[in-house]
Amino acid sequence: MNFNDLKINFIRFILAILIIFFLLLSFGINPLDVTNALFIGSFGSFEKIIRTMLVWVPISLASIALIYTFSSGMWNIGIEGQIIMGAIGATFIARSFLGDNFISPYIQLIMALGFGGFWGFICAILKVKGGVHEIFSGLGLDFVASGIAIYLIIGPWKRKGIASTSGTEIFHESSWIPTVGNLDFPIFLFLIVILVYVFTYFLLSQTSFGLRLKATGINFFATNRFNFSSERYIIYSFIIAGALAGIAGFSQVSGSYHKLVPTISGGFGFLSILLVLICSRNIFLTFIISFLFAALIVGGSQLQIKLDLDHSLVGIIQASFVLSWLILQRVNLEKKILNIFSKVLTK
Amino acid sequence: MITIENSLITVIALSTPLIIAVLGETISEKSGVINLSAEGTIMICALFAFVFGYLTDIAVVGLIAGMILGAIIAAFLSLCDIKLRMDQIAVGFVLTILCSRLSSYLGQGYVRISGPTLNKISIPLLSDIPFFGNILFNHSLITYISILLIPSTWLLLNKTTFGLSLRASGENPNAANSRGINVQKIRFIGTLIGGSLLGLSGAAFSLYAKYGWSEGHTTNYGWIVLAIVIFGGWNPFRAAMGAYAFGLLQVLAIKAQSITLALSQILPLLPFPLMIFILIFIQYINRKDSSSVPLIIKSLIGGNQPESLGKKLPKEF
Repeated sequence: MNFNDLKINFIRFILAILIIFFLLLSFGINPLDVTNALFIGSFGSFEKIIRTMLVWVPISLASIALIYTFSSGMWNIGIEGQIIMGAIGATFIARSFLGDNFISPYIQLIMALGFGGFWGFICAILKVKGGVHEIFSGLGLDFVASGIAIYLIIGPWKRKGIASTSGTEIFHESSWIPTVGNLDFPIFLFLIVILVYVFTYFLLSQTSFGLRLKATGINFFATNRFNFSSERYIIYSFIIAGALAGIAGFSQVSGSYHKLVPTISGGFGFLSILLVLICSRNIFLTFIISFLFAALIVGGSQLQIKLDLDHSLVGIIQASFVLSWLILQRVNLEKKILNIFSKVLTK
Repeated sequence: MITIENSLITVIALSTPLIIAVLGETISEKSGVINLSAEGTIMICALFAFVFGYLTDIAVVGLIAGMILGAIIAAFLSLCDIKLRMDQIAVGFVLTILCSRLSSYLGQGYVRISGPTLNKISIPLLSDIPFFGNILFNHSLITYISILLIPSTWLLLNKTTFGLSLRASGENPNAANSRGINVQKIRFIGTLIGGSLLGLSGAAFSLYAKYGWSEGHTTNYGWIVLAIVIFGGWNPFRAAMGAYAFGLLQVLAIKAQSITLALSQILPLLPFPLMIFILIFIQYINRKDSSSVPLIIKSLIGGNQPESLGKKLPKEF
């Protein structure tokens, strides 16, 4: 990422924030009050920072997952389903004989990887062998996964006596993701995410695998000339994406909820699609924006308490941020502003 | 006997908004545009229709308001696609999220209050036919509209010059362009018609099929619409059948609630795996020598996916 890109992204960011401020003003809300409440709500105390981290982890993982599929030119709308399948895989271990053993979280991680990767693989096979548009198969697989989760929650994994959609029984504490300190800092998850960020950065920018993946996305048919099959790289990208989304599901189920609930994905999959629309393949930007979005979600609870505003305002802010970003990207206003700036400065 | 009659009446009532939405999405996909904003459009139009109906106390005003808003959202999507050359799928997806969140925010003051509803209109003579008369001819205005829309959509697509241009734009925009069709304009109009029908469908939810407003009032219906369009193989009649089948499924799910909770939760998700199977089958008969597949099966679950569905228009347009 060169310096000019950074400047343009920065100006675009400011413009998008300004648009949101105008939107809030048109609702009759003071944008500064909102900013303040969101900031206190997400970074106001150590507990809140940790809660922000716990939201940031799955969003980051899902966004990186989507970077892989975007690189190969695919729309992975099936990400929600992959998160849910990862959560189901983790729950499977947590409820088995391993549930009260200290190795449970690590086995859960592997299972989540496998389940999520498998769900991504189905989507890829449907695309490559079945010729099914990945949007439709992804959407279908999302709902199939959520159907499986609902079935398990009110069927075989129901709580003793009552069958309700409120979730399974809370896991044994050994199955929770290990934390440190009396504030429960999720060190294990944190390490995984940092590792995934670094690994993805190197894989996509420094290896021939990354180059081929991107080549597949740019021109599906030209890759034959270089003696590799685009189809195979599409399958790889979906498996990696599914596996990473599976870890996000694992983080949700064993890090946040400590039980399986029907809405286990928390809508983070769809949110990550929004996020990656902004960031495309830029890992650095993904890191920042995913943190921002996580802070918005966690800080949103303060909106209700402090300003008596509904939590859904956060979703509006996120979506309109993305929409204005995408439009600004096309209109290319930033370049004009940058030119004006440089003219003023040189005079 | 009475329960069967009542169930069938419920099936038709519940399917009403779905049919309208499915027909709208079919028109827009036939022109080559996947309107992925369906979920959000239906949701926010349901709210707007209810609010306008509530403020004026005339349900028909609500219907019109829903339709207009649906058309505005579709116009926005289409302009982003055609003029700004943004990805239609990306914009549609963002619009879905934005509109559904907006609906929960703006609709806070209208949760679970009673407003105007569309009255039932019995068609004289026809509604006196025993059994069928009551099921088919004793509904609200919007149900009759939805039933009339099925053949008219088919006629529009298959028997008019506009329909021919629309299909050409969806199949092969290059060829259409060289035949002197303004593909951009046709796609814009197609998306606009589709969007206004999605809006009307939202209005039909909050004013008739599922009275009133609550947060997430029409959750997942937009996605189901996308599934049923494929289930219908981009054919208005089959799509409508799919919508009725889904209505039946919903009624069965309500009935199953007393027997097993699991079944009632899972039945409404059935269209999605079915959608995937249909898509696989379509590709299968397109690839293999299709003469080996019996004609009846082909016409029942085959379909013609518009060739350039979801693809960007070439730069020179």
